[in-house]
Amino acid sequence: MTLEAEVEALRKVPLFHGIDETKLRLLAFISDRTEYPAGERLCAQGEEGDCAFIILSGDADVLVNTPEGEKKVAQVSENSIVGEIAILCDVPRTATLVAANNMDVLTVSKDDFLKLLKEFPDISLEVMRTLALRLERTTRDLADARRGAGGG
Amino acid sequence: MEKSLFSFIWKYSARQQIYILLVTVLSYPVVYVLLELPKLIVNDAVQGANFPRSILGVDFDQIPYLLLLCFSFLGLVVVSNGLKFYLNVYKGRLGERMLRRLRFELFQRVLRFRLPHFRKVSSGEIIPMITSEVEDVGGYIGEAFALPAYQGGMLVVQLGFIFMQDPLLGLAAVSSYPIQGYVIPMLQKRVVILSRQRVRNIRVIADKVGESITGVAEIHANDAAAWHSADISDRLYENFRIRYEIFNRKFLIKFLNNFMNQLTPFFFYLIGGYLVIEGNLSIGALLAVIAAYKDLAGPWKELLSFYQMTADVSVKYQTVVENFDPPDLYDTERLTADDKVELSGDLVFDNVSFSGGAAGQEVMDISLTVPAGTACAIAGPDGSGRSEVLQLAAGLVSPSSGKICIGPHDLDKLTDSTLGREIAYVGGAVHVWTGTIRDNLYYGLRHRPLIPPQREGEELRLYKRRVSEANETRNPVYDLEAVWDDLEAAGADNIHVLDEKALELLESVGLDKDIYRLGLQSRFDPSMDDAFTGKILNVRKSLASRILQEPALEGLVELWHPDRFNASANIADNLFFAVPADPEITMDQVPEMAEVRAFLTETGLDEKLQKVGLKIAETMLELFSNVSGDSGLLGAYSFITQDEIPEFERIVRIAKSDQQRPGLSDADRSRLRGLAFKMVPARHRLGIMTDAFRDEVIEARKAFLQTVVKNNPGFVAFDPDVYLPPLTIEDNLLFGRARVDRRDARRRIDDVIRAIVEETGLRRPIIYAGFDYHVGVSGSRLSAGQRRRIALVRGLLKNAKITILDDIATGTTEDDKALRRGLQEILSGKTFLFGTSNADIAAEFDQRFILDQGRISDKG
Repeated sequence: MTLEAEVEALRKVPLFHGIDETKLRLLAFISDRTEYPAGERLCAQGEEGDCAFIILSGDADVLVNTPEGEKKVAQVSENSIVGEIAILCDVPRTATLVAANNMDVLTVSKDDFLKLLKEFPDISLEVMRTLALRLERTTRDLADARRGAGGG
Repeated sequence: MEKSLFSFIWKYSARQQIYILLVTVLSYPVVYVLLELPKLIVNDAVQGANFPRSILGVDFDQIPYLLLLCFSFLGLVVVSNGLKFYLNVYKGRLGERMLRRLRFELFQRVLRFRLPHFRKVSSGEIIPMITSEVEDVGGYIGEAFALPAYQGGMLVVQLGFIFMQDPLLGLAAVSSYPIQGYVIPMLQKRVVILSRQRVRNIRVIADKVGESITGVAEIHANDAAAWHSADISDRLYENFRIRYEIFNRKFLIKFLNNFMNQLTPFFFYLIGGYLVIEGNLSIGALLAVIAAYKDLAGPWKELLSFYQMTADVSVKYQTVVENFDPPDLYDTERLTADDKVELSGDLVFDNVSFSGGAAGQEVMDISLTVPAGTACAIAGPDGSGRSEVLQLAAGLVSPSSGKICIGPHDLDKLTDSTLGREIAYVGGAVHVWTGTIRDNLYYGLRHRPLIPPQREGEELRLYKRRVSEANETRNPVYDLEAVWDDLEAAGADNIHVLDEKALELLESVGLDKDIYRLGLQSRFDPSMDDAFTGKILNVRKSLASRILQEPALEGLVELWHPDRFNASANIADNLFFAVPADPEITMDQVPEMAEVRAFLTETGLDEKLQKVGLKIAETMLELFSNVSGDSGLLGAYSFITQDEIPEFERIVRIAKSDQQRPGLSDADRSRLRGLAFKMVPARHRLGIMTDAFRDEVIEARKAFLQTVVKNNPGFVAFDPDVYLPPLTIEDNLLFGRARVDRRDARRRIDDVIRAIVEETGLRRPIIYAGFDYHVGVSGSRLSAGQRRRIALVRGLLKNAKITILDDIATGTTEDDKALRRGLQEILSGKTFLFGTSNADIAAEFDQRFILDQGRISDKG
């Protein structure tokens, strides 16, 4: 798979929605392309996150720690982005990711992404817009939930 | 040391100087006859009458007489020039020998300085004194007596000749000498003073430059470059001013000389002409006098310039030597003696006082006893006199009053041969010598050459010459190529045992891991040790099979395989599949090698690679042309740097245009080729690496091995069954590349390598290989901590009766605590002084002396 394919995958990521093609190519080029065989961990819950994973092929299990041990709560697959919050701010990983089968992953590191934001402020605007939309939706969902709870 | 240059010369070369003089005197008659013969030929043989002449009972007619005289002339020319040649060589040799003696004497004096004296001198000033400043002295020494004798003699001979022709003409010839003899020394005196100033000024410049180099980090950290620049610039102006004044005076002297010399012929023509007209002088005689006068000017000029040189060189000699004569030099005996007395017994300070010349460096009236074979802490903050006490105990400095004894021996009366072998001292400011780690570890065992190397034939002859020259110049005859490591002192039977001992100590100071790492990174000459090479190749094999078998490892590494493309390596590695035998040649330089270029052109790969390079360049420009240089994106990820962008823009523009002119230059093409070679397909996913191209590279690799690498000693081909000397031991073990597209592949594979190395017992040989790691200038390639530990091991390896450590391993970490326990264990049964500024650490020792302001404040 070449740069073009990676750009296609990046384009499907909501966070990078409004970013134009050439910038995405640049982002793809400076990101690391990594393979994970089935069973290998992409990241572990609690550790400091410093990159986002864009799954180009394969699937990963999302595990969280429970008193009874690790428990699978979800599966992520092709074209999804995982851990994107880590490339914007320092937060510990909220879950463990384990490759369910052989995976091909594009790893966007925080440093690179921030460098890119600094270099092209219009990307920042696009990201901000996406985040704001999400926030607005979350707020509304929260309000709905509260109203729902209050009503019930 | 001889205060004046002449007493130095006379003391060490009187015999040679007299010999030179004798040979010179021998040449006078030859010169005189040489002057006389032309006149005889003209007046007697050519213009004479009443032949035949009778010489030694043989009669000569006019023509044979002429022939006889001319051939005698020829013979004398040969003899006189031969003598000159012989003398010049002899004088040159004498000068060089004396210079060598002088330089060595100066260096030895530096070694004889007492330690506190080094607070007053700087290496920046000493170095030019020993090297460049005395250089002129060497050229001068051979001439010191001979030149004035020879040229003075010449002058006398020729003056005598002129006087014999006519006393009046003689007077005319010397008429200017008194004036020159009076004026020139007056001018010269000022030049001498200026020369002294100049030498001092240059020394200061050398010192400041040296200081700027040592403190360059400080200069940048404090933005003090302007201040230093101004300082040096001022000094340089001073130098210019002095030199300019010297020039003025020198040329004034020259002008006066030339003027006076050309004034003399005026008298010749006037007086000589008058005498000839009056008939009191033959025209032949006048011509001969004028010829003689021309020859007279030569010696006179030489004498004058000799006088100037004498003044100049004497000043240089004095300004150098006065720096090497401090009043309290150690005896030479202290350096050269080879007798060792055993220092067993208690270490006793008896009312010892010492002053280092500054506050916080004094020790006052200290009395203490450390029983033999016990450990003792000397504690006290910096400036308490702790370091001074420890240096006193090591015999490095001498007390100003009181006595320090070990057993019956007063340390001040002992020589280095005892102090340096029976006492191991490691101070806070350690020095690591430029060389290998091994050189540094065994440095404390290298006191004298022990086993001379076997020499025969030509080698022996050269060695004998070296020794005889050393004897001529009172240099030492220690053989640098001999074995110096004193195994016996270290308690080892052979070098392997010594290596093991060193390793043990390195382990106990916690340096073995570092050296193991250095060993992995070092290159190893397989001809030195076949067994080791074999083991490395075995590890390579077992590593390869483990990688195949263990699913967790599979895919972490791409091993070199003759028929496979290695996507984690760049195109250059993949294509050439060989490395230059000379590790100094980097992979980047390989495509520029003549045979490689020829291969690339012949196979048409050159074109192809250039196209690939062009594609890369285009992509890079497209991706990065809008990126600013300071974002850090460029350079870290792209093949090209910010500065190269315009260059590549031009290249791409030219390559894209259909016009033939202006085409790409050779340099442009090589840049494009370079880009292609740098590409690592697994990292740079540019879509250029098609399967077809991949196969093409593999094909080309085979052709390259056949045509270029085979039979070319300049290359070593990758071969799974062969050790590759240009690669590091680590690369030889792995023999592949960690995959760039697997997370932490490098680290994970390193762990596996370490495990296998441990299993196969290869760790030791690798550490020994690390012993040959070159530490850089004064150990600059090691960290400060590593340097200290190496110095510590060096001290411990000496296996001395008394070990003194100052400010070493004085951390409060667990590691340092363990290290101190280890040290006490290693040194148990030996006298051990441990200097620290931390009282808690001192409490770890059974005996303690606490110092405060130069006095013992407490003991326990």
